[in-house]
Amino acid sequence: MKKTRKLGIVLLLMTMLLAACGSGESGKQAEGSAGGQEKVKLTIWHNFAGDDLRAKSVRSFIEQFAKDHPEVELDAQAIPPDGYRQRLSTVAAANEMPDVFFVYAGSQSSELYQAKLLQPITEVLDAHSDWKDKFLPGAFEPYEFEQGQIYSAPLGMSATSILYYNKALFEKNNVKVPTTWDEMMTAVSAFNAKGITPIALGNKAPWVAQSTILGSLADRVTGTEWFKNAAAQKGAKFTDPEFIQALGHFKELVDHKAFQDGANSIDNTQAEQYFIQGNAAMMISGAWTLTNLAASSTEDQMKDIEVTVLPPIPGGKGKAGTISGGAGGGLALSSRTEGKARELALELIYAVSGPDAQKAIAESNSMVMYDTDIDKSKVTSLYYKAFNLVKSTEVTPVYDAYLSAEAAEVINNGLQEIMMGGSVEGVAQKLQDAQARSAAP
Amino acid sequence: MPTAMRSKGFIALALLPALLLFLIFVIIPVFWSAYYGFFSWKGFGDAKFIGLDNYKEMFRDPIFWRALRNNLILVVSSIVGQVPVALVLAIVLFKNSLFSRFVRSAVFMPMVLSTVVVGLIWGYIYHPQFGVANHVLDLLGLHSWTRAWLSDPKVNMLAISIPINWANIGPYLVIFVAALQNISPEIHDAAKIDGSAGWNKLIHVTLPIIWGTVVVTIVLCISGSLKAFDHVIVMTGGGPARSTELLATYMYNSTFSVYRYGYGSAVSTMIMIVSAVLIALNYLATRRKSS
Repeated sequence: MKKTRKLGIVLLLMTMLLAACGSGESGKQAEGSAGGQEKVKLTIWHNFAGDDLRAKSVRSFIEQFAKDHPEVELDAQAIPPDGYRQRLSTVAAANEMPDVFFVYAGSQSSELYQAKLLQPITEVLDAHSDWKDKFLPGAFEPYEFEQGQIYSAPLGMSATSILYYNKALFEKNNVKVPTTWDEMMTAVSAFNAKGITPIALGNKAPWVAQSTILGSLADRVTGTEWFKNAAAQKGAKFTDPEFIQALGHFKELVDHKAFQDGANSIDNTQAEQYFIQGNAAMMISGAWTLTNLAASSTEDQMKDIEVTVLPPIPGGKGKAGTISGGAGGGLALSSRTEGKARELALELIYAVSGPDAQKAIAESNSMVMYDTDIDKSKVTSLYYKAFNLVKSTEVTPVYDAYLSAEAAEVINNGLQEIMMGGSVEGVAQKLQDAQARSAAP
Repeated sequence: MPTAMRSKGFIALALLPALLLFLIFVIIPVFWSAYYGFFSWKGFGDAKFIGLDNYKEMFRDPIFWRALRNNLILVVSSIVGQVPVALVLAIVLFKNSLFSRFVRSAVFMPMVLSTVVVGLIWGYIYHPQFGVANHVLDLLGLHSWTRAWLSDPKVNMLAISIPINWANIGPYLVIFVAALQNISPEIHDAAKIDGSAGWNKLIHVTLPIIWGTVVVTIVLCISGSLKAFDHVIVMTGGGPARSTELLATYMYNSTFSVYRYGYGSAVSTMIMIVSAVLIALNYLATRRKSS
């Protein structure tokens, strides 16, 4: 009896060992062929998973690359944007990055750089200098982690604070489109008196108010120089009077009921729908709204919508007529990818972010950080207006691209707090503490 | 002797694979995570040992205490809102008639829905502009009661606990129905002969028999509410201004979006400790009653 039992255990252990061996060997084989002549294995992860035009065109460039390179065994994973950051963080924790992956400008890519998970793609940019030169000024700024080395080429541009307004509602109610802060407050009161929401806001995901409103509003008060110093914690603090004043202007909007009730419990898409259906006169939102509206609303609804910039603040140090924004995410290269795989990975990056891809993305109602001409008939009328507006304005920093991840979280929640009646000074203090903590070595 | 031993050996052998899986995927990660709780770690890159600093920071963080308080509100509302309701429904519906089967399935249905769907449905019910909740209150002439249910910090925890209770009554109902149907008919007959009926029978006969089941459901309720995450993430994401943060969402929000895996590990270890304490308390409280 005992013998059978022992035998049983031995058999069980052997099966497990065999199973373990099996997986080990197949792993080796895959690596072996990557070095050999036949098939090079490449993995690419991106978040263009949706059904919108931009995602489709980016995916088509990836597919085209796979067709043109039969020697590559391409494993392309489209991961929905909501879960993308987490997925990437998870594989980063395990040091199992895909060869090529989409990264966001700002804290995400710089954390990955600091963890030594990225390698520069300068080589491919220099090889196609006509391509490199047509990127707009500042396009590589968030990806130049060391002098002369560029780690990604942006696939898009985030213009985060376009002021959309419903021209028909303004005309019908005899309200002037605001070009000064006073006119803004007048418009807010006028629309409230008529029972129309002045500004639609969907701030359930709390980055919205920060990215779309605060960045631009604060820049008009403090100027860009001050913000960069405060973010670096050099000679400026978020408790300085100018920042308190900027938060105060945000509170002014809240106190005058500029936003609809419960703005903190609906999401950005719901707010867009609320606005496009004519329930609100204005909406301050990013270029992503153009892409969303192109997919979800009719030309008829869009023809009343115009775009402009936030009005300047009297006495502010910032430049008027600017929009907060910057380079969007781009493709980065894993530091573990070497040899033949590396060469092909760089080619893949060029194929997906090169001139043709940039033009295609721009023509899918989505802004790019690249000087290209678009065919008016291919895009929505609203996008065309915004494309020309953004081309002619200067960009100022988006707050969360410069703040540490923790500080960005603090200001995001802080704005919600102000909307719930919290104190401006308290929020400024918390932001200052968080940024000081992460700026300290 | 040989039969017993042999079967014991066989049982051990048969359990081994499952036990190994459980060990590798549940037990070891728990200790692993407790270990990371002593580090300052971004999730990638180097980890720095910082002793108990994460725990110290947690105890100083007002949001942690708010999350704990919200979680305790949820535990209480689940125990009060789920177990008694499920028990009453089970007593009313435990016969296998067509009507009671229909109502039972209706009560069970939200359990089958994905929690994301439940969250979205209730998000629309509570919608500040188009929501059914406010609309109904308006129709009833209670305009002063309408509010932005999910963003008003005075009521949003309550507003969130309603769908959570609504979605979770189903399984308890089924457990109670099974327990009631397991009471043998002789006991009902004996109770009848002794002249026990109605309340009297419920309190002196039925409840004592199924008390074990009640205790189990309360334990399930406590652990379920401490793990609660998905409904809140879908409906409010822990906001606005972190006013609906629960322990699990607090852990998530202070780990993944701000790259603080060490701190998140410390928080999840804390969640384990809090649940163990609550379940032990519940065990002590209910044991005294049943003895």
